Amino acid sequence: MKIEETLEKLEKITSALEREDIPLDEAIALFEQGLELAASAKKALDEARLKISQVVEKAKGVLDLEPFDVS
Amino acid sequence: MDEEHVYTVSELNRTARDIVEGGLGGVWVKGEVSEISHASSGHMYFTLKDAAAEVSAVRFRSRSPILSAIEPGSVVLAFGKVTIYEPRGRYQFVATLVQPVGAGVLQAAFERLKQKLHAEGLFDPEHKKPIPAYPTRIGVVTSPTGAALHDIVSVLSRRWPIAELLLFPSSVQGDTASEELVAALDRAIRFSQSEAPLDLILIGRGGGASEDLAPFNDERLARAVYASPIPVVSAVGHEIDFTITDFVADLRAATPTAAAELVTPHAADVAGRVTECVDRASRGLRGRLEENEMLLKASLRRPLFRTPSRLLETAEQRLDVQAATLARAPRRALERPRERLARLDAILRLSSPTRPLERGFSITYVDGASRPLRDARSVVPGTHIMTRVAKGRLMSSVEEVHEE
Repeated sequence: MKIEETLEKLEKITSALEREDIPLDEAIALFEQGLELAASAKKALDEARLKISQVVEKAKGVLDLEPFDVS
Repeated sequence: MDEEHVYTVSELNRTARDIVEGGLGGVWVKGEVSEISHASSGHMYFTLKDAAAEVSAVRFRSRSPILSAIEPGSVVLAFGKVTIYEPRGRYQFVATLVQPVGAGVLQAAFERLKQKLHAEGLFDPEHKKPIPAYPTRIGVVTSPTGAALHDIVSVLSRRWPIAELLLFPSSVQGDTASEELVAALDRAIRFSQSEAPLDLILIGRGGGASEDLAPFNDERLARAVYASPIPVVSAVGHEIDFTITDFVADLRAATPTAAAELVTPHAADVAGRVTECVDRASRGLRGRLEENEMLLKASLRRPLFRTPSRLLETAEQRLDVQAATLARAPRRALERPRERLARLDAILRLSSPTRPLERGFSITYVDGASRPLRDARSVVPGTHIMTRVAKGRLMSSVEEVHEE
């Protein structure tokens, strides 16, 4: 899941929990889901390392993805 | 003869100089440059010539910076004055401005192209695509060895390392550069459509002289940027001038560094937003738990559930501790979601059945309904309702309904 999607879902769950009209069992399930989303977002942010590659066209119409080393 | 004035050589040269300087003033001269020499003083000595004649010329160091583009063979337009160097009696042209004749032509072509594309609507704000807030796959069209790539990589590594950078290499100066840029942009768009979608494309180069930016003033490139289905951000390193690519891009940044900063959030801010969400969610759930506590109390008031009060007090205390922990510990919650959930279950099981009603809260049911009344709009005047208070219950009927 892309980080943007994770954040959107987390926001949605948060707003839902702030409203008063959800039955408790549902609220708990949502909260648990929210915690998991938050944990995965934090983990993704903490562990991220910029990935760099280059796309070249060796033969006409054939795109190759190659690792690219910035030094 | 006696009355005839006899000049000294110095007087002659001085007088000739006055006549020449006074007679001509500032003039424009067009000619071909030959025999350039850069003196250690910083002055540039050169000869200007055309098919039939030549004149020595000099441009002093204090004048505008020397253009590297001027070399033997260049045709230039020079502004200056004619003077005579008295010690040698040598006639020369002192230039205050020397510019390649091509420069004016380029400038005029730039203006014409800008007008034309503007008239066609290529710069219209309505056509500009929004830049995604959290780009994860970023295409970069630039030179693999240039400063621009280096700057973009360093900003992304620092601010938003969750991104993936895909380089579409192209030369960024020289005669074939604009063609290569168009091809690289096309490659990026094809890659996005067939391999993995790109969130946006940065196109640019590091700072350079205005003639180095020419590839970014190319009409084909402008049309390719306009036609791109992916947002394109121009990242050409020059703060003062604009290129055509700047005008047509969906977003323009003054430098590659600025471009990378403009299109990415800071990872630390995003992490802060996550923490804030968990905080708010915790408070929200706590509210639900308190409500549930009241409901439980209400049901436990039935004789079947009556419990010794000491046990209730203990349970109340534990609930308070747990609820307080929950409200201020989003970080811990983050680390062990499963454990948090187990704790929530415990809170629910331990919920004390008496306190909120004793504090003066009450719970209202529509007569016969099993779930408490939450919304005034679900009753009408005349509806019979039952209200449970700490001691006993009230049976009433609704007189008026006020919606909030």
